[in-house]
Amino acid sequence: MSKEAGRVTDAPVVGDDSRTTRALVGILRVGVALLWIENAGWKKPPDFTSLHKYATYAVDYPVFSPFTWVIEHVVLPHFTIFGWMTLLLEASLGAFLLVGLATRLWALLGVGQSLAIALSVLNAPNEWEWSYYLMILAHVALFASAAGRSFGLDGVLRPMWRASSNRVPQLLLRLS
Amino acid sequence: MTRSDALGQAALALGAAGVASPVFALSTSSNNNFVLVQSLGLVVFPALGLVAILGVVLAQRLFVVLAGAGFALAASVQLFQFGRSTNGLDGNGSTFSLLMAIGIGLLTVGLTPSIPPSDETA
Repeated sequence: MSKEAGRVTDAPVVGDDSRTTRALVGILRVGVALLWIENAGWKKPPDFTSLHKYATYAVDYPVFSPFTWVIEHVVLPHFTIFGWMTLLLEASLGAFLLVGLATRLWALLGVGQSLAIALSVLNAPNEWEWSYYLMILAHVALFASAAGRSFGLDGVLRPMWRASSNRVPQLLLRLS
Repeated sequence: MTRSDALGQAALALGAAGVASPVFALSTSSNNNFVLVQSLGLVVFPALGLVAILGVVLAQRLFVVLAGAGFALAASVQLFQFGRSTNGLDGNGSTFSLLMAIGIGLLTVGLTPSIPPSDETA
């Protein structure tokens, strides 16, 4: 929630809230959403074969030893659960960012998931490390601009959430 | 909820997204990971989208909620059938994600009470 001259507003958190700027922020949000939506497409249950290959990169080409230990001793032995969690998280990232609902929460989760991917594959052959840095930075931009307020449901619903005294709308107000 | 208020316009946009989703069937992408809308999905997406649009046009909020619930149900079915021999919607994880987006969006919009215009703050 941004404050202007002491007033709480629902305006996008960007320096210039012109329609063009809002449209560009909306395009960024939808573009990042499509990234996750497409990537939910190849995480195929029940064995998640392709995802398993990338997860083993964290062990074969370690980036950060504590993360490698977790992948080797916690994730890989229980890979089916991990595969479902990854599918659900990435599909949800795509869904919530696409419609712009609780966008700041999902932007933070996107930073976390992008970081996890980076720590898995950063040192693997034929990877361009800036791909993952850019993914992280794109989610930081979504968080900083409260991108769901630009052509997203956050922008539509925040006045109604503010008018409610219930906990859920008040929580959504903070997460948007 | 009407065509002229913000909630109605959001529901219209989400319903229109459902109606337009068969456009993904035209994709010729070789990687084939992007939203698969085919077979039964070619009916489910536009039919539920039309229900949402009708709800706004007729100012019947219940239709919007029912459409959202339908998309959410379809998303659940897709999630548990993806990767199995029985895949009713013939989709993948991307299809699940898009169904979830439209479903959660419509349910949220449909279940959020409107406030009088005078109470809305900029």
